[in-house]
Amino acid sequence: MFADGLFIVFATLAVLGAVGLVLFRHPMNGAMSFVVTLISLAGLYALLSAKLIFALQLIVYAGAIMSLIVFIIMFLNIQPDDLPQEEMKLFYVLVSAIVVCPIGLLLAKIVKSLPVHSTAIMGNKFGGVKEVGLLLFRDWLIPFEIVSILLLVSLVGAVILAGKRGTTK
Amino acid sequence: MSQLDILLLVLRVAFGAFVPLCFIAVLVWMERRGAAFFQDRSGPNRAHIFGFRAGGLVQNFADAVKLITKEDIIPGHIKHKFYFVLAPVIVFCIALISFAAVPFADALIINGKKYIMQAIPTDLGILWFLALAGFAVYGIILAGWSSHNKYGVLGGLRAAAQVISYEIPMGFAIISALVVYGTVNLTEIAQYQGHLLFGFIPMWGVVVQPLGAIIFIIAAFAEANRTPFDLAEGESELVAGFHVEYSSMKFGMFFMGEYVAMFTSSAIIVTLYFGGYQIPWFSTETLVHNARAFSVLLMLLLPACAWLFARWMAKNNRSHYDRPNDPRVWEAQIYAKILWGTVAALEIVLFIYLITVSGGVADRILVALLQIVTFLVKTTFMCFIYVWVRWTLPRFRYDQLQKLGWQTLLPLSLLNIFVTSAIVVALS
Repeated sequence: MFADGLFIVFATLAVLGAVGLVLFRHPMNGAMSFVVTLISLAGLYALLSAKLIFALQLIVYAGAIMSLIVFIIMFLNIQPDDLPQEEMKLFYVLVSAIVVCPIGLLLAKIVKSLPVHSTAIMGNKFGGVKEVGLLLFRDWLIPFEIVSILLLVSLVGAVILAGKRGTTK
Repeated sequence: MSQLDILLLVLRVAFGAFVPLCFIAVLVWMERRGAAFFQDRSGPNRAHIFGFRAGGLVQNFADAVKLITKEDIIPGHIKHKFYFVLAPVIVFCIALISFAAVPFADALIINGKKYIMQAIPTDLGILWFLALAGFAVYGIILAGWSSHNKYGVLGGLRAAAQVISYEIPMGFAIISALVVYGTVNLTEIAQYQGHLLFGFIPMWGVVVQPLGAIIFIIAAFAEANRTPFDLAEGESELVAGFHVEYSSMKFGMFFMGEYVAMFTSSAIIVTLYFGGYQIPWFSTETLVHNARAFSVLLMLLLPACAWLFARWMAKNNRSHYDRPNDPRVWEAQIYAKILWGTVAALEIVLFIYLITVSGGVADRILVALLQIVTFLVKTTFMCFIYVWVRWTLPRFRYDQLQKLGWQTLLPLSLLNIFVTSAIVVALS
């Protein structure tokens, strides 16, 4: 029962944060509401007894990436005049809501047609640091390494792109 | 849940919440008297209640009254009042919660059931600390940004850039420590440090990971925004940095948050590199098996220490000029009476323990209490090092700070990971 209550709280907060990200005018408000979404997602992972993913979600997304984004928003020092005029905002939001509606209905239908599973907590070591680590570095080593090379490539690419602009000026 | 479960749960959470709060008072006192000590003066020692100065601790009480009763101003130019109020709350709460995963005694075994002595009995351990350390920067960024003040924004920018860049060497130092310990669970890490290296050196992290320990301690200083890394509030150039617009208890929250963060990071340093709650050379099992001998030793040591302390107090707690009926001598006498009363009470408790309940559960509880005391003593020493560094080293220049982080600590910590992994692989 307690877990159900927590699930409802986290799910509501996650959705509200995402809605806030889209609707808030000031980027700082948007970023902070997105932080709320990320933290509630971490809470959902914890409810699914995925401890490691819970910690990583907090460290990587909520802790590192979002603090960099907030840092950049602060760095740019955006004034109200800098923000674009959005007179048709309500109209756009309504139209896009209507356009997205069928997809939402489809998703709802898919969720409804899922077979009913009990959501009992998995075996007592499931999702722990050691278990995920063994799975990742023993059974899924090659995909893991390929993904990390992909990340490395994009990192080097970003450095080169940033460096080029500096030298041409 | 049995009643014992609930009692231990309440005790552990209370310890995790109240000990950092109590340490605010101790650390503020230590900072002031420590600063005075390093600068060869006395420090605040005059504030008193009915003549009792408690070595200057009463000054903190006066400060608390001042901060609480000051007018709480939110400057009119601030547009995002919500973030302005939220920022100190984040800084304070995050610092407090990160202590929750630190073990303050070895797992207590009562009636065959194991109780992990952490406020939150999670095995995430150091990951919990890392996750929350990332959040602390939000408080500083939001404070600097919502203050809408050039000094505030500059302070916030500096703090954020510094915390983000020092998190990397800190994470690498933790990785190399984890390679040695083979676990992220802080209780297991502390248990590992109870072993002996070559049979006579305590296998503390600082012995097996000296470079990692230095890198981690430097990075922890930077994360706590303490001198020599306190450019965020460098008063000579930025007035007070990110908290320049804050007054009253909102400033108080930043102030207390700084000391809670200092306590928490000292606790983490002690747990990772200085054996945590382990008493050197005496593992938990040794202590439990020889609990009676230790309690007899304790009964002999306590009066000796109290006698030395009382003599030191009587010698130092007196006026430096002739005064009829010196109130300070009288004060010291009262303290000595309280001290001897406490010692007598402890002796009685230990005596009752010896003749009635020794053996079994009581031994384990006694050992847990001893370990809690050890942990707090170690953490206090680490906090003293924070104070020591603050009043000894001058502040870095900002480019020097970033250079140290990226060009010295980062390569060193990477090297440390490779060397450590090579040794661990070679030995296994």
